[in-house]
Amino acid sequence: MIRTENLMKSYKNSVHALKGISTVMEKRVTSIIGRNGAGKTTFIRILSTQLMPTSGSAYINDTDVIRFPEKIRNKIVSIPQEASPIGILTPFELVKMYLVGRGQSLQESTVSTNRALEDLGIMEYKNKPTDTLSGGTKRKVFVAMAIASNADIIFLDEPTTGLDPISRIEVWSAIKQIEGDIILTTHYMEEASELSNEVVLIDDGRIIEKGTVVDLMKRFEGFVRVEGKDIADPAITIGSTKIKYVRKEEAMAYIEAGEVVKPVSLDDVFIKHGVEVEY
Amino acid sequence: MKLNIKYISTFAWYYGFRSIARGPSYIIASLSSPLTLLFLVYILSHGQLLAYAVAGGFVSLVATVALQSSGDAAFLRLQLRIQDLFVASPISSTDYMIGMTLSYVVFSGPGIILYVILGLVFHLFSFIGTLVLVAVLLILVVATSSISFIISGAIGHVRNVWGIAAILSVIMTILPPTFYPYTYIPSFYLYILSVSPVTPAAVLVQGYFGLSPVMPVMWLILFIDLAVFYIAARKLTRWREG
Repeated sequence: MIRTENLMKSYKNSVHALKGISTVMEKRVTSIIGRNGAGKTTFIRILSTQLMPTSGSAYINDTDVIRFPEKIRNKIVSIPQEASPIGILTPFELVKMYLVGRGQSLQESTVSTNRALEDLGIMEYKNKPTDTLSGGTKRKVFVAMAIASNADIIFLDEPTTGLDPISRIEVWSAIKQIEGDIILTTHYMEEASELSNEVVLIDDGRIIEKGTVVDLMKRFEGFVRVEGKDIADPAITIGSTKIKYVRKEEAMAYIEAGEVVKPVSLDDVFIKHGVEVEY
Repeated sequence: MKLNIKYISTFAWYYGFRSIARGPSYIIASLSSPLTLLFLVYILSHGQLLAYAVAGGFVSLVATVALQSSGDAAFLRLQLRIQDLFVASPISSTDYMIGMTLSYVVFSGPGIILYVILGLVFHLFSFIGTLVLVAVLLILVVATSSISFIISGAIGHVRNVWGIAAILSVIMTILPPTFYPYTYIPSFYLYILSVSPVTPAAVLVQGYFGLSPVMPVMWLILFIDLAVFYIAARKLTRWREG
């Protein structure tokens, strides 16, 4: 279980990345979603002991991660945003080196590494330098570290950013094999829907929504999304695109008028908060 | 403080030895500067200072390779984000620093072997001289790696670190009396140059190889340099960011 109280982080350039986050996260997979710069990475870096907050407190399983980071580091794994493996080393070498660093014996780490690479279907790349591998396979090397570590809590910061759709599905499949609790940040709503039991929406350094995907979608029940350039009374305008939410029974009229009608998704929760408008 | 010896040696084996095996250009790059200077010293001194250049080559090689590690340390922290992965784990900053330092000892291996061959050709080695050389090089690699970690921790963008490492490498390994007798420069300047651990290391090697008078005070200076840079690196290396 992760608990934070009034967590704040300000940088020297007067950027206030977190403006007082108090929350409890205890679900199997929690997705933290928000726009670029919303504070997701700062939040996750503080929780995983990589960054000191300006004030506030954070606990993982009742251990104070701010004051006693060394007490929690053997129970967590954190895969940083856009982390890339050392290209000259192979997946086997990278995972094994990491596991030995976490305290596994040489023999145990060899067994764990082989098992994780096997589980993730990347055994054929075991002895190839990682700079010759695809982006998806490189991400899987990090997921292999998380799986083989047997950590209680795994932090994944935007694990599929920049990957093609197939690689993304491959990484999701790999993430599902992790046994510990997962906190992941993403701005792909599809990813949050696919993987998480709970969603935390962060904007401008604050939590603005929290709940299951079903909870967050309730307000859109019975609605569809209409997009176009000439929609009257739009709820949201993003660039030249106007968006409006209408009842399903009204949708046909918009389709006949040539507008694009889509089912609502978690994207709409994100969009609604992202542009701060009412619908 | 308990060191994770298994991690340190695994890191050094993979990052040091494997890198050499898969990227032999590293060896040529690390050898190019000392060997070029060796050639220049031979030409300019008509062969008279060649023994100095060979003795200094050991020191220069180890210091150059260790200073270049600042580039790698910054690259791993800023570009690959691997350091963050290690921070959020039981791996300590000391284990990481020693592992990387040891990698560079391994990196220096082929160059050291070449200089050993040259040293044998020029009959430079005595029992005491060899012991001193090993001790001095070990102290030097820790001191210069510490400087590298200070640089890599202070750099905000990886593009700057390569240039700084190259400048420092020239200042710290060519200005000090690595390739010429330390007696050529006034003692006042010798002590100023001793801010770089390369200077006392080179003076000691020249002394115990029988090329110049032994200056025992350089042991003290070398240990002071080691302590200052190691402590500074422990304090200034970015591990958990503030």
